Formats: sequence, structure tokens, C-alpha cells
Amino acid sequence: MLALIASRIAIMVPNVVLLTFLLFASVTSFLGTPAAIMLGENASPEAVAELNERMGFDQPLLLRYGDWMGSALTGDLGRSYATQQPVAQMIADALPLTLELAVWAILIAFAGSSLINSVTFMRSYVQRVTAAVSVVGITIPNFFLGLLLIYVFAVELRLLPTTGWSPWSNGIGAHLVHMILPVVTLTTFYFSSFSLVYRAEYESLRGSLFVRAARSKGLSETRISYRHILPNSILPLITYAGLSLGQLVGGAVVTETVFSMPGMGRLLVNAINTRDFPVMLAVGMVIIVGVMLLNLLADLAYGIVNPLVRHAR
Amino acid sequence: MQKFPARLVLGLILLAVITLAAVFAPLIAPYPPTASTTNILGAPSAANFFGTDQLGRDVFSRVLFGTRVSLQVGAAAAIVAVLIGAPIGLAAGFFRGWVDFILVQVIDIFIALPGLVLALIITAMLGPSVFNLSITLGVVTAPTVARLVRGQVFVVREMLFVEAARATGASSFWIIRKHVMPNTMRVVWSQFAINVSLAIFTSASLSFLGLGVPPPAPDWGGMVRDGSSFLPIRPLLSLGPGAAVALTVFTFYLVGSSMNDAFSRRPRVAE
Repeated sequence: MLALIASRIAIMVPNVVLLTFLLFASVTSFLGTPAAIMLGENASPEAVAELNERMGFDQPLLLRYGDWMGSALTGDLGRSYATQQPVAQMIADALPLTLELAVWAILIAFAGSSLINSVTFMRSYVQRVTAAVSVVGITIPNFFLGLLLIYVFAVELRLLPTTGWSPWSNGIGAHLVHMILPVVTLTTFYFSSFSLVYRAEYESLRGSLFVRAARSKGLSETRISYRHILPNSILPLITYAGLSLGQLVGGAVVTETVFSMPGMGRLLVNAINTRDFPVMLAVGMVIIVGVMLLNLLADLAYGIVNPLVRHAR
Repeated sequence: MQKFPARLVLGLILLAVITLAAVFAPLIAPYPPTASTTNILGAPSAANFFGTDQLGRDVFSRVLFGTRVSLQVGAAAAIVAVLIGAPIGLAAGFFRGWVDFILVQVIDIFIALPGLVLALIITAMLGPSVFNLSITLGVVTAPTVARLVRGQVFVVREMLFVEAARATGASSFWIIRKHVMPNTMRVVWSQFAINVSLAIFTSASLSFLGLGVPPPAPDWGGMVRDGSSFLPIRPLLSLGPGAAVALTVFTFYLVGSSMNDAFSRRPRVAE
């Protein structure tokens, strides 16, 4: 197990360095120099050159990347050009919300898809419904689903708040009520795609020897389904969950925008629209490192659930 | 293939309707898509099926014309993805060894990264336009194509006819062109419709975030974005184009996935 962790980390570190360098190089070289953007269109070339020198924008790329990465490792991500706030603080404010949204979405999709797709009572009907829901759920865009839910549950039925977000400090009830629609919006895609993956595995295991053995022992179909097939069928879900993390981040960006929630997605979109380099870079880096770390976690979780992997390589 | 699956039939019918709507948009649409009127935020009526937007433009006509923009971006992006992804997958699968190791590392990293965020950053750098959007979405989808091609090449290159060709002294290039490519591209084309649906999905999301097709072009994502401020009073301004995106993505996905099922050699699991 330790060897597995070590080998994964050994691959991960150069990847993170390479990707953050690509991010840094592309963001800083394509968008024009930050000094020109900060001073506006009417700035004189001298003023731009002066600011470039003062802020170190005229240094070679590798040196600037080293500087940025060096201070990032000590927790200093610079200050936002737009608001002058420390970027680390902005991230610390936005990240928990996005993480919470993502965790709810994944947990509900995971539990929902494995439990619902294992039912034995009226199985063929339940199957048909979840199959139809899955195809629609995979293709429906987040922004459309989000607006549709807002329209139905907030505007027409007046059951839930339209948009916005309520921090934990305002009370757990208010917080959770505000989370319902965004979580449903985000989890629909995952519930649907997890269902497809889970069902395929479930069906392929139904005829296995261990299932037949359990049946010949006289166990009930329900018990066989939930105690014998389910634990074995969730293995590919873990792998799939790890692989789809990237999409989860994309979905969270759109969902936060629909519900105007102050998370990482909105931070990124605002930063791109205002050409706020330090924020763009920092959010990009957090996403890169986060996705890689969670991928590692998914691999390790798989190793824990399936002992065979631990001894591979 | 004994039976023509119902899913494929439904998908093809929807696809025909959408394509006809795109081709004949100027004939069907009651108004030009960018013509402003003084009838601002008008209610849906017999004259304006979906009402009018904040500039008095007929939303139904704009949704119809938006079909053209979406199909263009979707098809162009899927072609770019094949042009970039297929050669990479061919090289990785055929030469194996360290070429494969490096390419797979790169492919896997890009598959793990959020495609939407990647596309956001690339369009922010290139500037929003239909052309840039197609390239960007193609680049973002390319790793998936590369992985698919690589997997298929692994299968094909072990087949007897490839070994026979090698025994007769054929060059690698010749074998790839004559034997490996034709047997691989089948898989790529059956994935093509799914890639189109993914590209339309992502491009609409980008436009919704404000970084897609620039106005005043009738673009679905942008229309949803503009219309969402008026959701309580004029829901169709955003839900109309939103439904158009959903329907188009659904259609291409349906066609693609049922083609995949039909073409793949794997026997389907019986219920």
C-alpha cells in the first residue's frame, strides 16, 4: 500500500509542476502584460515600463514562475488587482462553499445510484425509469436544469429561495434550504452517469457464482442484492468518480453562477472577466492540485476496497 | 445488426428536425434574429411564440437561428478533436514503448482536468469568436479521442493481417495507413456524435458564463444568460433557448450512444 502511495505521488509532483507552469506561462503571456491592463488604455509606454519593472513583470518567465510558486508554497498568493484583497483570503472564503457543494453532490449520487439501482421490488419498472432519467440527466445542461428548478420551486411554488446563499452562521436550517436546489442541479449528472456505470456492473455480476451460491443458501433476493452484489458493484463507481472530478469542477462553476453563490466558480469567472491575474492563477492552481489530490484519494480508496490492487506493481 | 434500435430511430428523427430547422431557419423564422423592436419583454403571443427579449427581438426566431451557430460549433469542434486526437492515439498505440508512456501521461492529465475550466481559460486568452470556440472545444475533447484510438489500435495491431503485412516487409507508415487506420476510425466515427453533443454542451455553458459566442449573434447560452434576469416574469426568455440546448445535446447523445451500442462487438447483457 505504501509503495502504491509513493509511486502515485512520484508521478503527481512533476505533473503539478508542469501544469502550473503551463497555466502560468499561458495566462501571463497571452493576456497582455498586467501593467498595461492595470493602467488602462491611455497609459504612456513609460508608465507601463516603470510599473513592469517595479512589479517584476519584465523578468524572464522561468524566474517569475519560480517566484510565484515559491511564495505560493508559503501561502502567499499575492493580492487581487481588482480588489487589492489578499488572494489567499479570497480563496479561503470561497473554497469551503464549493467543496461542500461538490461533496453533497457526489455523496448523494453515490448513495442514490447504488441503492436505487439495486432494488429488487418491481425491478424491471424501476430500471426503465432510472434508465430514462439517466439519459436525460447526462445531457441536460446545468444552467438549464438550475433555472428550471428555480422557476418551478421558487417562482411558481414558492417553496424554496430563488438564489443566493446563507452561511452556516445564519443557522443550519437556512443554510441547508439554500443548498437544496444547487445540490440537486449538480448531483443530477452524477446520479445519472453513476447509474449507468453501476447498472452495467450490477448486471454483469448477477449471474456470478457467488450470487448463485448465496441464492442456493436460501437468502432472499433483497439480501443478495444489497449484501452481495452491491458491495462488489461499487468498485467501478470509485474509479469513475475519480475520473469525473474534472467535470464536477466545471459543473460547480456553472451551478454557482446560476444560483449566484460566492464560491470558487464565481471567483474564477469574475477574475477572467476583469483580467485579474493573481486570482486566475491561484484558482487555476487550486483546481489543478485539488483534482490531482482527489484522484489520488480515489486510487487509494480503490486500493482499500479491492486488496488485489495493493500488490500490483 | 439484426434490428434497428428504437433509440437510434428516435435520435435520427430528432436530428433530422434539428438539421431542417437550422437549414431553413430564414424561411421558418417569423422575424430576423437581430432585429430590435419597441416591443420590449413582450409576452408570448401568436406573433411571438416565446415573447420578445430586452431589446424587443423575437426570441423564437433567435432560438431557430441559434441552431445554426450551435451545430457549426459542435461539428467543427468534433472534427478538430479527431484531427488532433486521432494521430496522437495512433502514434501512442502503434509505437508503444516510451512514446506511448509520455503520450498517455499527457492524455491522462488533460482528461483529469476540468474541460470547462480549461476552455474558459483558453477562450479568455484567444478572445471569444465562433472560430476560436471551435478550436478550443476541439482541443479540450481531443484527449478523449486519443485514448479511444489508442485502445482500438492496441487491438488491431495484434491481428493476424497486421503481422502478415509486417512479415512481407511493409513499413510502419504503410501498415498504419492501410490496416490500422481503417479499422480504428470506425470507432472514432461512432463516437463522433457524442463529441458533437459534448461540444454543444460546453459551448453553451461557456456562453452562459459570458465567454462564448459574442453578441449580437443568436447564441443559446448567451440568450439563457440574458434572459435569466427576467425568469420570474418572462420564463421563456431563458427556458426556451435552454430547452433548445438540452434537446440538441440529448439528440446527439442518443444518436451517438445507440450507434456505439450497435457497432461495438461486445454482446449486450441480457436482462
